[in-house]
Amino acid sequence: MTAAIEIRGVSKRFGSHLALDNIHLDVRPGELLALLGPSGSGKTSLLRIIAGLEAPDAGQVLFGAEDAAQRRAGEREVGFVFQHYALFRHMTVFENVAFGLRVVPRARRLPRAVIAERVTRLLEMVQLAWLADRMPAQLSGGQRQRVALARALAIEPRVLLLDEPFGALDAKVRKELRRWLRALHEDVKLTSVFVTHDQDEALELADRVVVMSAGRIEQIGGPGEVYTAPASAFVHEFLGDTNRLDCRIEGGRVVLTDGALLGRADAPDGTAVAYVRPHELDVAATREGAAVIRHASTFGPLVRLIVGFGESSLDVAMPVERWVRLGLAVDDRVSLTARYGAVFTRPGQPAVLLRPCIPMNGLRAVPGALGA
Amino acid sequence: MSSVALRTDGSLARPILIALAMLVAGVVLGLPLAIVLVEAFARGPGTYLAALVDPDTIDAIALTLIVALCSVSVTTVFGIAAAWCIARFTFRGRSLLLTLIDLPFSVSPVIAGLVQVLLFGRRGWLGPFLAAHDVRIVFALPGIVLATVFVTLPFVARELMPLMQEQGAEEEEAALSLGASGWQTFRRVTLPNIRFALLTGVLLANARAMGEFGAVSVVSGHIRGATNTMPLQVEILFNDYQIEAAFAVASVLALLALVTLGLKLALERRQSVLLTTKGSAP
Amino acid sequence: MSHALGRPHLVIPGFRLSLGLTTGTLAVLVLLPLAAMIAIGLANGVPAFVAALADRRVMAAFRVTIGAALVAAVVSAAFGLLLAWVLTRYRFPGRRIIDAAVDLPFALPTAVAGIALTALYAPNGWVGGLLAPFGIKVAFTPLGIVVALVFVGLPFVVRAVQPVLEDLPAHEEEAAHLLGATPAQTFRRVILPAMAPALVTGFTMAFARGLGEYGSVIFIAGNKPMLSEIVPLLIVIQLDQYNYTGAAAIGTLMLLASFVLLLAINRLQAWAGGR
Repeated sequence: MTAAIEIRGVSKRFGSHLALDNIHLDVRPGELLALLGPSGSGKTSLLRIIAGLEAPDAGQVLFGAEDAAQRRAGEREVGFVFQHYALFRHMTVFENVAFGLRVVPRARRLPRAVIAERVTRLLEMVQLAWLADRMPAQLSGGQRQRVALARALAIEPRVLLLDEPFGALDAKVRKELRRWLRALHEDVKLTSVFVTHDQDEALELADRVVVMSAGRIEQIGGPGEVYTAPASAFVHEFLGDTNRLDCRIEGGRVVLTDGALLGRADAPDGTAVAYVRPHELDVAATREGAAVIRHASTFGPLVRLIVGFGESSLDVAMPVERWVRLGLAVDDRVSLTARYGAVFTRPGQPAVLLRPCIPMNGLRAVPGALGA
Repeated sequence: MSSVALRTDGSLARPILIALAMLVAGVVLGLPLAIVLVEAFARGPGTYLAALVDPDTIDAIALTLIVALCSVSVTTVFGIAAAWCIARFTFRGRSLLLTLIDLPFSVSPVIAGLVQVLLFGRRGWLGPFLAAHDVRIVFALPGIVLATVFVTLPFVARELMPLMQEQGAEEEEAALSLGASGWQTFRRVTLPNIRFALLTGVLLANARAMGEFGAVSVVSGHIRGATNTMPLQVEILFNDYQIEAAFAVASVLALLALVTLGLKLALERRQSVLLTTKGSAP
Repeated sequence: MSHALGRPHLVIPGFRLSLGLTTGTLAVLVLLPLAAMIAIGLANGVPAFVAALADRRVMAAFRVTIGAALVAAVVSAAFGLLLAWVLTRYRFPGRRIIDAAVDLPFALPTAVAGIALTALYAPNGWVGGLLAPFGIKVAFTPLGIVVALVFVGLPFVVRAVQPVLEDLPAHEEEAAHLLGATPAQTFRRVILPAMAPALVTGFTMAFARGLGEYGSVIFIAGNKPMLSEIVPLLIVIQLDQYNYTGAAAIGTLMLLASFVLLLAINRLQAWAGGR
């Protein structure tokens, strides 16, 4: 299967800032691909380069087999949805959507009636036909977003690019629109790339996720893959809440800096960083436990604890039922066990699985166990 | 604003300050305008009209209109070009260019006239050459236009640059990504978005062009019926002790100023509506 | 490296065309003529340039012009601050008219302002007549120059200070008030520091404008050599006498002053904007 878009060794520099560093990426036909990363990771620059809004300093963007450098932005047949929509403020919704069809050279331009018909059909698809005569200023954020989408689709692009498509919307609208866009993509199967800094959005919406950091791709994979098998400490940290613990590997044992034993990992001796997500930590009541429950709050079906441990504090999450069964309260002393976790020995290397060192039910008695 | 309430609680500051401000505005701004009208009509509307239909005055009005038309055209094209490159691109020397665009504002208008005489005057650099080819620039229309262009050059650019910077390039990028050409993008997206500010700039440039005195007085030669613009006509009449006639012509210029200010207010209001109702997020 | 070459918005067309038009127009209509003036001013060497400026009448004109512009800028700053304050802080009948009228000096042709002020402040005029019994003469004295320059300088101060006062967060004043500050303390410690850059900017702009002002001054000044003759008028007089070098020398010095002031204003605006 040939790639719909192929990015080969693209680099981009803004002044002294290296925004993109030798990026290689294939976008598959019909897929919905997320570019995920914190601000400044280069994801928007990459999207703008694909659209032809920015030129790379080095490297190529291929559409099918053709080098896109030959084409101006307007000739790439790319639909671009801007972060703040960039609707033409002096045109009605209808005129906005029709714009791309009206600026075609007269020889190739569609007849007026055909343009009107297509615009109406697009507005119906985004469920905004009733707002065709409004001005952009009279629309809500979610409506503007959908107008921008209809406008981008009007030119029947080969690729749809969306820059932080839900960034400017409030949480509820964002969630609805996310579902709606996913359903739309199922229908149209248009190759789409969207930029986001929100991991939930990327994981829920995308077929594949590209995690970016500091101008480089950290990992490319399915939503489940990047979450469960992060390729680097950055990916693990960026995708969801986690606890970071500095440690050493000593003969397959993972030892924290203060000497407590965290678990086992098949890794060579040396310093390392272990990550344990809140729901991967277990608490048990122990009178001699070195850990203290500092704070507990119920959050829907979950209880979130802040557990003080030496100088640091760790986040722990568990189902409400379990919390009730444990019968613990704030200020109680507890011991902590990591059911599993991720150990990174060197930057940029994939994780080594962290395993508990002994059966979980015997934990309390083991000297050196975390928190005891 | 609750802070206003706080500050003015039981205080005499408010009425005293307002009264003082009204006094200052009345004396500094109001009286000059009032005396123009009073003096113009001091001997009744008959004298007033007679002063306006005087052939020399009619010629001065015609010349003023021609000068304004020529110089405002140059200023407008320059202003759009300057705003486009300043607001849409970053490049080396951009801030120097910004300073140079502002330069005519801070130079004395007399210098704007002086440089024309130094270049094109009878004893100027190009004087002998121009005389040999029988071209007159100084003491003629071209010199007046050149001097006026010099002083009005920044007006349109000044109105457009901050606005275009604030509006950003996203709508233009959207138009280009939808396949519009550069010209289509400018005409269908940029121009409608800046139209009121552009009109404001043209209006202000026009007011300045019609009212310019220092620069024009140096290059005009004060030839009655030929190189006198309206402000120069005011000067000549005033110095001839034809006070009512001088104020009559002055009243036309004052009216122009008032109309300009009124239109500017209206345009600014419409542009700010256009700006706040942009298509992007609130 | 397209950024360093100056084309970050590669997609937006018209960079070369617009930059070419802008720099070309500026070069031909503004920069080359000004360069010619400097060249002519210095044509006979630096000593001749200095001699042309060291003339007693020229020196006197500079003293009068700078002095009047300074005094007028101070008065404009005071009046401008008052107007800006009242216009932003209070709602009262006639406020919008005053607000609009502040721009009048920008729009009113200087010659019109000149004859109007002359008529007002002449010994038999509306204001001059009131002052005459006290022995105060305005028209045809340096004081007349100050009056004219206050008229042209006032809007610069108001329009520089007004937006800063409007944007000054009310919270800061409320916080100061709640912390026990008196209105006077709030003004001195919270408001004045916040608008000082804008006030200094407006003052400098009014001063710069005053140095070069011609039309509104020459009618009221009386133009007595050594006493009430301003520098721009001296340029005109030198030109009338075909003393191009002298006129160019004076013009060059004025240009230098304008350029220094322009740079200062740019710095001040950056300072004011950065807060």
